[in-house]
Amino acid sequence: METLHFLLQGFDVATRPNNLLVALFGAFVGTIVGLLPGLGPINGVALLLPLAFAFGLPPETALILLAAVYLGCEYGGRISAILLNVPGDAAAVMTTLDGYPLARQGKAGIALSLSAVSSFTGSIIATCGVVLFAPLLAKWAVAFGPAEYFVLMIFAIACLGGMVGDKPVKTLMAALIGLALATVGVDSTTGVYRFTFGSVSLSDGIQFIIVVIGFFSVSEILVMLENTHSGQKAVKASGRLLFNFKEFCATFWTMIRSSLAGFVIGTLPGAGATIASAMTYMTEKRLAGSGGKFGEGDLRGLAAPEAANNASACGSLIPMLTLGVPGSGTTAVMIGALSLYNITPGPLLFEQQPDVVWGLIASLFIGNVILLVMNIPLVGLFSRMLSVPNWVLVPAISVISMVGVYAVHSTTFDLVLMIGLGVFGYILRKLDFPLSAVILGFVLGELMEDNLRRALSISAGELGILWQSPISLCLWALAALMLALPGLRWWRARNKARLAHA
Amino acid sequence: MYVRLFSAVWLLLCAGLAIIAWGFQAPFAYDPVGPRAYPLLLLALMSAGSLWLLFKPGVLQQQLHLPSAKRAVLCVLTLLAYVLTFEALGFVLSTALATFAMGLLFTGRLLPCAISGVLMGVLLYGLFDLVLDVPLPLGLFEAFVES
Repeated sequence: METLHFLLQGFDVATRPNNLLVALFGAFVGTIVGLLPGLGPINGVALLLPLAFAFGLPPETALILLAAVYLGCEYGGRISAILLNVPGDAAAVMTTLDGYPLARQGKAGIALSLSAVSSFTGSIIATCGVVLFAPLLAKWAVAFGPAEYFVLMIFAIACLGGMVGDKPVKTLMAALIGLALATVGVDSTTGVYRFTFGSVSLSDGIQFIIVVIGFFSVSEILVMLENTHSGQKAVKASGRLLFNFKEFCATFWTMIRSSLAGFVIGTLPGAGATIASAMTYMTEKRLAGSGGKFGEGDLRGLAAPEAANNASACGSLIPMLTLGVPGSGTTAVMIGALSLYNITPGPLLFEQQPDVVWGLIASLFIGNVILLVMNIPLVGLFSRMLSVPNWVLVPAISVISMVGVYAVHSTTFDLVLMIGLGVFGYILRKLDFPLSAVILGFVLGELMEDNLRRALSISAGELGILWQSPISLCLWALAALMLALPGLRWWRARNKARLAHA
Repeated sequence: MYVRLFSAVWLLLCAGLAIIAWGFQAPFAYDPVGPRAYPLLLLALMSAGSLWLLFKPGVLQQQLHLPSAKRAVLCVLTLLAYVLTFEALGFVLSTALATFAMGLLFTGRLLPCAISGVLMGVLLYGLFDLVLDVPLPLGLFEAFVES
């Protein structure tokens, strides 16, 4: 009952004219950023974040903007996946498998509208999940002390290493690099300058915006330079534009199942939309058995990943809002955005800033409706965006990135640092280090050190406090399990290979 | 191979940073941990990771492709030139030049790139400085505005 009351209050915030306008704008920009190959939700949020700040938007409006962009990207990624066979963002890889064959069969309109509805279903179910579970978790998480927080963050990083799969060592290294980057600057407890090399500009630490734009925009520009394939023809969306009732019924349960699964995966810290869409696609394929035409244009193969990736995008807001620990790279950026406003996400956020939290949740409902309404009739307009040539697009992206960084401090040093980080990010990327882990580490870095030192201050230096409470013991066990997962997988694969040999 | 190289460099870097970090000492002890322990812990973990990758680098799909590496270097140089002229030449001029050069790098043709460069310089200045209130440097144009 209390929740309902808060939700209504949230709707009150979200339906203010300026917030509605911002949600509309964010959804539009998000869809465009999402459909452009190579640019994903992190880029969209990173590009708009400095703008929101420069605009002087109040925190709840800024957060609504970023959430709308995030959702919009998940909607937009499917358009290029279906029409071009190029995923607009990483989570849409699975959508290409059945979406593009459908487009080739002349069913592009059906595929686009059905995937829009799947996205909508996924988001709405997951948002309901957020409404139900986030306040409960927040209430429970108030009991967390600094020691539990520290272990929770270790668990988040371990999750990242265990879930991202084939390269756990590189993922953990990437997270450590992020954590290390966060130690630059003046130490908040003692005032000692660390790794500043005598530079005044670094004494404040490396600004979050510079890291995000450097790692994601600049390195993305360099990656785009490699594949300047132009002249790829988008399939024209012709024929029937809307799916019919029979097609909807055939995919209905797939949508529900995938949404629930996507939501659960999304709430795990570290596991994001990409994993959710891959897992649900595989599950649906197995469930369909030999009757499915997966890979050749099965509608269920289209609905499953789309519902799942949107559901997990919404689900990843739960750990971010209630615990202050990001569930994905994009939510890590959003936490950074909140800290620019001096708001620390965490269990107390629900009590201290109900406007921000519930306004955001309500705006998810509104944003989804906007996106659904926008996506079905405007698909033609969006697909035309795909024909903007790279020689206009990339320079524009680089200029906007520069302005975003320059707006923070107005120094050339920041711009040079951004390019340096961009080149570093590009090298990491070429060597297969996941960049989203670096960002996650960077966001968690300061929190993690603060909590560790606070915990040890409480116990007067006794390390035992880190594993005394049942909660932290449980989290340590889970973290160990997550770290053991890749080893377990490797062991099973080896056993299987040996059996096949024998 | 490249992973090995990177890990070796990273290992050296960690060692160097550890020497620097060893010197972090607070004049007064505020908390039992101090400013030194946490960075050293991170550096130790990173060195362990680097050592692991040094011995088991795994397979890397990406190979160094010389022409595209050359273009990447050119692109970085363009961006650097843009950044360094950003305040001196002012936003409009440096943006026009940089977008022109970047356009050419991304296989645009000469005239369209020039046009888009000029347009972007002027329009984005209008959008950011005048509409969105992000202060941008005027550079060479300052003289015109003052008088």
